[in-house]
Amino acid sequence: MLKLEEIGHLIDDLAVQLVMRQPDAPIGALAGAWVPQLAGIVESARAEGAIQAAESAGSLIALLTATEAPGAEGLSEQLQAGLTELERAVREAGSPKTAANSPSLAQDPELMSDFVLESGEHLASIETQALMLERDPCDAETLNAVFRAFHTIKGLAGFLELWHVQKVAHETETVLDRARNGELTLTPPAIDAILASADYLRRWLRYLEAPGTNGPPVGGEEALLARIRGVCAAPAELGGGHPEPDRDEQPAELPPAHPETSEAGPKGAPAEARRGSANAVRVDTAKLDLLVEMAGEMVIAESLVRQDPDLPTLKSTRLQRNMAQLTRITQELQKTAMAMRLVPVGPLFRRMARLVRDLSRQFGKRVEMVTAGDEIELDRTIVEELADPLMHMVRNALDHGLETPRERRAAGKTETGRVTLSAQHRGGQVLIEIADDGRGLDRERIAAKAIERKLIATAEGLTDTEVFNLVFEPGFSTAAVVTNVSGRGVGMDVVRRHIDKLRGRIEIRSVPGQGTTFTLKLPLTLAIIDGLVVRVGAERYIVPLFSVREMLRPKEDTIWTVKQRAEMALVREALLPVLRLYKRFQVTPASTDPRASVMIVGEVEGGRFCLLVDELIGKQEVVIKSLGETFKGVSGIAGGAILGDGRVGLILDLERLFKERADAGP
Amino acid sequence: MSASVLSQNPVAAGAPLDVRSGKYLTFALSNEEFGIRVLKVREIMGLQEITAVPQTPAHVKGVINLRGRVVPVIDLRLKFGLPTAEYSQRTCIIVTQVQGESGPLMMGIVVDGVSEVLNLSDQEIEDTPDFGEDIGNRYLLGMAKVKGKVKILLDIDKVLSTQDLNGLNSILH
Repeated sequence: MLKLEEIGHLIDDLAVQLVMRQPDAPIGALAGAWVPQLAGIVESARAEGAIQAAESAGSLIALLTATEAPGAEGLSEQLQAGLTELERAVREAGSPKTAANSPSLAQDPELMSDFVLESGEHLASIETQALMLERDPCDAETLNAVFRAFHTIKGLAGFLELWHVQKVAHETETVLDRARNGELTLTPPAIDAILASADYLRRWLRYLEAPGTNGPPVGGEEALLARIRGVCAAPAELGGGHPEPDRDEQPAELPPAHPETSEAGPKGAPAEARRGSANAVRVDTAKLDLLVEMAGEMVIAESLVRQDPDLPTLKSTRLQRNMAQLTRITQELQKTAMAMRLVPVGPLFRRMARLVRDLSRQFGKRVEMVTAGDEIELDRTIVEELADPLMHMVRNALDHGLETPRERRAAGKTETGRVTLSAQHRGGQVLIEIADDGRGLDRERIAAKAIERKLIATAEGLTDTEVFNLVFEPGFSTAAVVTNVSGRGVGMDVVRRHIDKLRGRIEIRSVPGQGTTFTLKLPLTLAIIDGLVVRVGAERYIVPLFSVREMLRPKEDTIWTVKQRAEMALVREALLPVLRLYKRFQVTPASTDPRASVMIVGEVEGGRFCLLVDELIGKQEVVIKSLGETFKGVSGIAGGAILGDGRVGLILDLERLFKERADAGP
Repeated sequence: MSASVLSQNPVAAGAPLDVRSGKYLTFALSNEEFGIRVLKVREIMGLQEITAVPQTPAHVKGVINLRGRVVPVIDLRLKFGLPTAEYSQRTCIIVTQVQGESGPLMMGIVVDGVSEVLNLSDQEIEDTPDFGEDIGNRYLLGMAKVKGKVKILLDIDKVLSTQDLNGLNSILH
């Protein structure tokens, strides 16, 4: 039996063997020597009461014995990680502070995060289904689904000793149970109560996710419980009478399912959800990211082999054939890995349906929402980031875009306004449209406001698009009445910032009296960009292609020096500021003569400018990698990427380069 | 504040001295021998092409590609204010895993050459002499005398997370 201290030394020994081993020695050979030693550690640690350490050592043994054909690098890393953990466990066991108190299940962070995740999914489906119940309160299947969702949350919450959550879920479940048994019909107030209960539970989830940020949301619980109980106590309309909500007075219900609602819309949702959950596995996003990263590496490794100068000297058709096969498989692998990060936009659209329902009541407008292209998939990060801007735009559409029923009647339109959310693929990008059939943007008012805010001097000579784009300026708002929903002058500039962050673009089309359409052009993923590889001196940089407008070789009279300080270039009759990259990054260029350089015209928020580089190497798809916290102070660099030859290239952040050029200028 | 200092300094906290004993990888830098805990070392690799990152201090050599990961590389000579030297055949990069602000972080350090792995016991490790300021305690684990030579044991986590290491000069000269 070893003492803890001796175990510590033994671990050190193992770590040394791992680090100092010959690079080409098979790591499997270690297993023979390690397993008995680790087994000794397991036994000794148990005897010493260091359960954690014993487990760590145990999992190391499993690692060594289970891997039949170990991928040397991966295994070596895993072993190192395991050793580090083991060392920590031994040290912790040695320190007297860690009393071996077995934490209750309720404190297990893993269980808790599982609960948050799972309940979040249940709440999302509850929301969609509650809206469906509003249209058809007797849909038994949907009723059952909502009931089951609350029931599951209740059960899990009880398990984790979350009594508040359990109580609310329980009361709501009771309402649904009675509805299921035909003792109660779900009237709009009942649906409201169910949605309010879902909102309350969501607040709890948010708190549980980050307990440090704010206190538990206990306020209002009694009122909510009373409301839910009130639903139960209300006289039951037996006989499955479909409630006919007084649609004329009650402002805007969601209309009954519209024939134009896409097949993947709310109606298709439950079936889709069921199909999804049956064949899906939950995977840690970190693991997923690693897989995507490794697939990206594989593509690079493959291209390294394919471009090897020795390869053409081997005149073997077999080799060529196999090489082509490898290339194909590698690309397929990368595509598949990328696809795993993609999620459909449908759930996001359905969240907007809830928003439309709530807002239409608040505004006294009648609105139907139509979605299309729910099945279009985007990177999950993008879908998450898209929620806020989309919410802003839907709010805007309901508040400013759509008219009241009376106004609509007067304009000769149907009383019910329509908001359309659609997604579609367009040339490697995804287009998302938010369209309303309301009054359209008022060019004159926007122009007047912009002049008042001194954003422009005059609207004359500006195209409609240019005028409409003014609504994206910070602090711009034309709403006559400031409501608590929109009209406070925040909104569209935030939308624009969000979309920029996602490397997307936003456009407005609007016809007076017919409505407004916002079009978002988004990349499929944030992990990969098309880049232009350029050279400046000995360094290579990657310019994101999405902000490159054109490239040209400057002539003698292209570049002008203004007041002997700033340089401007005349490109297509526009004077654009010039940024010499070598000056900014202080590298030695091949030539300081612009005529021997290449000028890249970049377009970023706020304008266009010219970037002077030595030469263009080519176009390449690159996997974006963060440079990490070491370089967080560096501006003008958006990240790094592994280039075709295995070296790291730096990705330029044109936005920052442009902005800081302006700051530094006279 | 004093509490946090205590907890970071194992000696002052009265924790068992055994925290410092164990295996150290030693390497040469200028005329000195340094040591870092073996468990902090992830990999030892020959010098490779480093991509420079603009607007960084001189000791930040840039980034390398470590099997798909972008890993920053620090020249320890420059970091410690030692005279620069041409990189030679023996120059290598020790890839370490250190504690970053938001979790573990891989970082490479350029050293003149890796020497050996030493197993140091409590008796061989001495506290850093008092150099007037608290320099020693900040990023040194201690000093070890092995076969008449002094090895400076670095707390690599702190070395790499501290911006300004000028104080080290007083120890080295």
